[in-house]
Amino acid sequence: MAVAAVDAADDRVSITRLSRTSVAWRALFTALLVGLAVNGSVRGNDIAWPFAPMSQFAFGVDLDGQIRSTYIDADTTAGTTVRVPLSASGVGLGRAEVEGQLPRIVAEPALLQAIAVAAARRHPSWPRYTRLRVAQEISQLRDGKVVSTRTEQLADWTVVDPQGLR
Amino acid sequence: MGGAVTRLAGWLFEPAPRSRVALLRLAVYAFVIVDVLALHTSGWYHGFADPVWYQPLEAGRLLGLPAATVLLVEGLKWGSVGAALVALTGRWPRAAGWAVALTWSWYQYVAFSYGKVDHDRGDFVVALLLLPTVGLAHLGDDRRSQAAGFALRGVQLAAIATYVLSGVAKLRFGGPEWVNSATLLRAVVRRGSPIGELFVQVPWVLHAMQWVLMVAELTAWAIFFLPDRWRRLVVLAWYLFHAVTYATITIAFWPHLVMLLAFLPLERYRDSAVRRWRSRRSTPLTTA
Repeated sequence: MAVAAVDAADDRVSITRLSRTSVAWRALFTALLVGLAVNGSVRGNDIAWPFAPMSQFAFGVDLDGQIRSTYIDADTTAGTTVRVPLSASGVGLGRAEVEGQLPRIVAEPALLQAIAVAAARRHPSWPRYTRLRVAQEISQLRDGKVVSTRTEQLADWTVVDPQGLR
Repeated sequence: MGGAVTRLAGWLFEPAPRSRVALLRLAVYAFVIVDVLALHTSGWYHGFADPVWYQPLEAGRLLGLPAATVLLVEGLKWGSVGAALVALTGRWPRAAGWAVALTWSWYQYVAFSYGKVDHDRGDFVVALLLLPTVGLAHLGDDRRSQAAGFALRGVQLAAIATYVLSGVAKLRFGGPEWVNSATLLRAVVRRGSPIGELFVQVPWVLHAMQWVLMVAELTAWAIFFLPDRWRRLVVLAWYLFHAVTYATITIAFWPHLVMLLAFLPLERYRDSAVRRWRSRRSTPLTTA
């Protein structure tokens, strides 16, 4: 419908049309992408990216439930305790990524050694991490409002050979 | 049945000006450069992360993609920039375009295979795959082609599908009661901005926003049935929505914002901007 209208309305300007083959592979490509996207949304999960379900912010949060934010604190060779920057530029991993791998970390705290190594490599001038503690700040909700916050420790790792990290 | 297929094909392949694609291409490839250098750099940082954190996605397993190394991420980053610079010139649109599609998508893959996936970035892959199929498209070439029309329609469809499928995902994971849950409150508490903090005091606003969001997402497809003028207003409304989102939880779906440009008659905006600029410049000249 629209095509004919355009042709008639604008015959001074020539229209380049696609060959049958060109139309056919474009139509196939479209059908394939639609199929993959729908399949991913209905049955897939994150590992199907770029055909993963659009699940950011898709999970319901109970009005009387909890909101958890993960963080890692580190004791350092300078005798200080610092918050590990869970950003890509800090130790190469973001907070959401640490949260995505939290079950692994809780099951095997030795993985945290890699955080200390990454910090030493990326930021040679920082004091080395000697001990890492993974914890969560838990905001308790009541009727959809934050009524209290507390923290809970999930994993603890004493860094092996902190002075020798690189 | 046959009539419906013909109409669908006519709609998918509705001719559009090549100049519109040329302008969208400028936005897309300029965005690629800004994106890999400044906006979304976690892929680059993963080159420095320990390989122990690598969690290959299906695509990576299928293609045998390795954990990131510094060399790989540097190659993908500067490969994207180099290919995008060539693509910006409009020369070798196919080769340069495919090169951007490959390097940028791989760079995103590296970003997403360490425990977190940003779902909004899938649709931009579609844009990068579609743009090279148009071939040569000059900024001054207002002649229409079906190849240009199909690419624009595809970008529009991918952008709108992102909304609709986001709504579908909310129904799948959160259930219909998602609208009455505390999802946005959680987002604000976890990554609040000064404006977001205000909303924590008035949770009902966030609650209402969830209703608006769910309805807007699930009905986003209706944009294709609106007259042109309304369609542009809806695009404007989506831009406003994304601006509010950014103000409250500092999350912006940047690539997606570029995709929405495919709904706008860019070449006409450019022409009228140029005309206005020229008349402003020429007025003092003619009077003198």
